[in-house]
Amino acid sequence: MKQIALYGKGGIGKSTTSANLSAALADTGLDIMQIGCDPKHDSTRMLMHGTWIPTVLDLVREKGDERISADQVVFKGYRGIRCVEAGGPEPGVGCAGRGIIATFQLLERLDALHGDVIVYDVLGDVVCGGFAMPMREGYAQEIYLVTSGELMSLYAANNICKAIARLSRRVRSKCALGGVICNSANIAEENVLVEEFARRINSRLIAYVPRDRIVQVAEINRQTVIEYAPDSAQAGVYRALAAGVLEITNTDLTIPTPLEMDELESLALEFV
Amino acid sequence: MNLNPSHLNLSRYEGCTITGALAVSAFIPDALTVVHGPAGCAHHNLSLLHATLLQQDRLFLPPVFSTGLREPDIIFGGEDALQRTIERALERKPRAVCVISTCIAETIGDDTDAVCGRDWGVPVIHLHSSGFLGGSFNEGFVNALKRIAGLVPPAETRDGGINIVGEKNLEFEVEENFEEVARLLGVLDLDVNVRFVRNETVDDISRFSAGCLNILREPALDPIGRHFQEAFAQPYLSGFPVGLQGTREFLRAVGEACGSAADEAIAAEESLQDELSAEFADLDGEAISLSPFGFQCPEFSLLSEVAEAIGLRIDPEGTEIPVPFGAPVGTAGIRRMLHQWRRFLHA
Ligand SMILES: Nc1ncnc2c1ncn2[C@@H]1O[C@H](COP(=O)(O)OP(=O)(O)O)[C@@H](O)[C@H]1O
Ligand code: SF4
Ligand SMILES: [Mg+2]
Repeated sequence: MKQIALYGKGGIGKSTTSANLSAALADTGLDIMQIGCDPKHDSTRMLMHGTWIPTVLDLVREKGDERISADQVVFKGYRGIRCVEAGGPEPGVGCAGRGIIATFQLLERLDALHGDVIVYDVLGDVVCGGFAMPMREGYAQEIYLVTSGELMSLYAANNICKAIARLSRRVRSKCALGGVICNSANIAEENVLVEEFARRINSRLIAYVPRDRIVQVAEINRQTVIEYAPDSAQAGVYRALAAGVLEITNTDLTIPTPLEMDELESLALEFV
Repeated sequence: MNLNPSHLNLSRYEGCTITGALAVSAFIPDALTVVHGPAGCAHHNLSLLHATLLQQDRLFLPPVFSTGLREPDIIFGGEDALQRTIERALERKPRAVCVISTCIAETIGDDTDAVCGRDWGVPVIHLHSSGFLGGSFNEGFVNALKRIAGLVPPAETRDGGINIVGEKNLEFEVEENFEEVARLLGVLDLDVNVRFVRNETVDDISRFSAGCLNILREPALDPIGRHFQEAFAQPYLSGFPVGLQGTREFLRAVGEACGSAADEAIAAEESLQDELSAEFADLDGEAISLSPFGFQCPEFSLLSEVAEAIGLRIDPEGTEIPVPFGAPVGTAGIRRMLHQWRRFLHA
């Protein structure tokens, strides 16, 4: 079983990329599970053809965590992909990070975490212990950073590197960096910039995903690009990403070397 | 709580702020306490209070409610649990509710102030006491007193007598110490107004502002003394009387603050103190050494003052006497201490 996590700044395209990656992987006949770890709970929506599935934490809130069964939180979407949304508290109250921890404990207890590949789609702006959960306890062992060439997006990616580097010092740690995915913001020479960023943090660029209108068109049709426009160039990009991820083995994983803020700024400056 | 609050003997100053807050809120008989946190915070701190009092043969278990937070409350916020628990407490018709917040409520950012601030019909007072925000028993105690002060409305007159502020509800001789202060005030023809806060109802507490002088239990409560000075223009004395000369000075200071002559009272007290040397004449010429008990500070001028008055010699070879945990209050406190010394010397 391969467990991977996509981390990155809010709105950068983690869920779009995760869903298309999962769909492309499922097309090859693999058994895939995708878990949205963002209180926004829209990670699996395109895989579920637009349905908002009940979140784990909605159910915990309603029933308490004792009387929940796997079929109440795991939903089958495109090509049998098993979809889960962690959810979260109402904005402004409680502790979303603890919610992620509770979700993982529940899924573990329900024996729900299985398949050929599990894709965790995780919010990357908040880096409290709770949102690091998927990187701990041996869940996601390969982390992929989703970023564009924008400074704030690189900044968030760099922060996640700090978390990975910190966690890797722990004896039982199994998580390391798989690579960087550039989801384009249509910045000139963006792929060169993100590739250079990847190199400096001791990783590599594994995919450059262009910004394409087809993503929105598929979204309006409540589908992933893979499902809605399998013959499009964009679908090809996601399939190539899927192939690239499958090729990554343990020996390709690295411990990242996060940059200092001024290094990051001067890197971004080189490309303005 | 300690004679010498230096950094070397901090141990008595640690623990959780909750215990300090409880040591205030539990002593308002018509108020109820809600501890906003996991059940353990209420249980352990209440047990500590209970055990301490039991050790002094006082059987007292104040009603304390816990919001009993569990994981879902942490994830989704504990404000609903707090609301429900306050409602439950109000069914018993208390005249006020004290809400003691804990680490977890503060960590997840519950807006405890906002919940307490709703219109509940009776005052619902938030005593901030998350252990992790720092402080210890003492900070919890002092903060609780400050917050409870919010129950006191301003008064027109200052003819209500003397307020006693911050009695140590958990100390062994709490009543004896109070009685000694009340006796000394009686000698000056003064009455006690409110004991803030020891077994006074919410209504009693509201008469606090009519007091003409506040006597603090100990100097650590100075922030509260200043608080009331600003709020109600009440002068304050920093501590209960300690030592022979200290007790006479106390009389003078109270007399000055209340505009009554103290000379006669001081003379009377002095002859009372002189009687001590007669009463303990059997100790005259004996040698004692002061045992610091591990953490107490023997360099305490009160002890040498008493020893000298009785004719005791302080000598490392002398009979070991434990340094008292708290300074004896007034002349009566010194008499009790001398009785104890006698038991050690004649053991
Ligand atoms: N490669 C892309 N081309 C065009 N639009 C994209 C692309 N990637 C993401 N988007 C759009 O960006 C928005 C945010 O993406 P989303 O995947 O929800 O971000 P995140 O999960 O990181 O918050 C979505 O509306 C999506 O349609
Ligand atoms: S330190 Fe915190 S958790 Fe412990 S008893 Fe005090 S408030 Fe509760
Ligand atoms: Mg998302």
